Amino acid sequence: MTTETSTRETKDDDKQINSVVVEMQHLKKSFGDKEVLLDINLVMNKGENLVILGKSGTGKSVLIKCIVGLMEIDYGKLLLFGQDISNLKAKELTELHRKIGFLFQSGALYDSMTVRENLEFPLKRQVTTISKAEMNALVKESLENVGLSETIDMMPSELSGGMRKRLGLARTLILKPEIMLYDEPSTGLDPITSKEISSLILEVQKKYHTSSIIITHDRECAKLTANRIIVIKDGVCAAEGSYNDLENSEDPWVRSFFE
Amino acid sequence: MEKIILEHFQNRKQEKETIPKNIPVIVSHTVVHKFFLEVYSLTIFTFRFFKEVFVPPYELNELLKQSFLIGYKSLPLVAVTSFIIGLVLTVQSRPTLEKFGAESLLPMMVAISIIREIGPVITALIFAGKVGSGIGAELASMNVTEQIDAMQVSHTNPFNYLVVTRVLSATIMLPLLVVFSDAVGLFGSYVAVNLKGNVSATIFFSQIFQSLEFKDVFPAFIKTFFFGFTIGLIGCYKGYNSNKGTEGVGKAANSAVVFASLMVFIIDMIAVQITSLLQN
Repeated sequence: MTTETSTRETKDDDKQINSVVVEMQHLKKSFGDKEVLLDINLVMNKGENLVILGKSGTGKSVLIKCIVGLMEIDYGKLLLFGQDISNLKAKELTELHRKIGFLFQSGALYDSMTVRENLEFPLKRQVTTISKAEMNALVKESLENVGLSETIDMMPSELSGGMRKRLGLARTLILKPEIMLYDEPSTGLDPITSKEISSLILEVQKKYHTSSIIITHDRECAKLTANRIIVIKDGVCAAEGSYNDLENSEDPWVRSFFE
Repeated sequence: MEKIILEHFQNRKQEKETIPKNIPVIVSHTVVHKFFLEVYSLTIFTFRFFKEVFVPPYELNELLKQSFLIGYKSLPLVAVTSFIIGLVLTVQSRPTLEKFGAESLLPMMVAISIIREIGPVITALIFAGKVGSGIGAELASMNVTEQIDAMQVSHTNPFNYLVVTRVLSATIMLPLLVVFSDAVGLFGSYVAVNLKGNVSATIFFSQIFQSLEFKDVFPAFIKTFFFGFTIGLIGCYKGYNSNKGTEGVGKAANSAVVFASLMVFIIDMIAVQITSLLQN
């Protein structure tokens, strides 16, 4: 009986460990003399939508850029899928980063390419064995997911801000990442388009079972998408909880994000 | 009390005297520091180019695309300017040669001028203005709109994809443009000769080919590879390392043209010195 219980406990522990996809321990990042992230400790579980709030310039975007490998951390531990990235070889780290998608604030579509070429770009780079027919099917599916099938032969400059964001999302999703990082997905959009993007984030979570970190200033976006919210202040995680918890927080500073 | 006041004014006077002397020293230190930092940074960028150029994947499609954009799309501009230069040079030189009764040497003089110096340098300057600034502005705006970061996230080496292809295209396409420019310039000269006379194309061009030697053509052609490489590299360097923001795009384009044009003259001067040393 005792052995059985202990085995079950071990299995439960393993399950819990495996369910953590991103973990940060005492993470620090500075630019010259300016310390942006002082001591970040956070955990993101599989299938979870984690929203990060904070004033501009508090290092929210820096945080997710460290996860995807666009920036290097100065100090602390960053674990992706349970593996400490500092112990990994470059090739192993690249393999891990392949499982991460990043939606840039501006959409970051390649201006010199058509919508089709934009979507084909990551496929050609990462899936070397893909046939033309498979590529066309994936492009079509991705565009249908974001409701922009008719734009396939258009140039990014012909699209509106909301369409560019949705296409950026389609380009990221085409590789079916396990973790999605959204850098201010609703910034610069009208409330209706902003809501559409938030709904799209939820659809992505359901359809592809992705875990997401969403950086946002948009209260509505946070309310719609968040399973959990972390508030960053002065380079540390100042508050954590559900939308309702933080909306009714005793700290007026935290509450101010939800007013 | 008077002594204290006097000392105070003397100290103030000394401060005033020392400040203007110190400022240029500080400024010059900053300028020199910035200059050496820029040189260091460009050197690192150049070494990185030579390192990455041999690293697969080789972006052949992008190389061809850039060669088309950089080379083929520059043909009309190069053609018009070369034709005018050839024509004007002939028209302007004619009266002087007529004074010495050396009018028959006109095709030879124009051909040597165009092929040795004017063709390569003028084409390189046009190239720096059109292509150098274009590359600088394009990469800088890609930097601002996070497209370079997006490439990295897509596991594409942006340096290999953007910089190596553009620098190689510029290095290959400029010599070809110079050959084209020389031909059009000589045609312009032929047209100018015929404005005041009647010389057949066969006579005109055979005189040119008889007067040209290997030492006229070869060094002039070789230096165009260096021109192309430098223009491409500086355009990429300025764009790739631009400051974020729209101001950075303008600065990158502008400084790419200025720096590349200056480098064209410096390389030309070195090339001429080396050529004359080898010929002696």
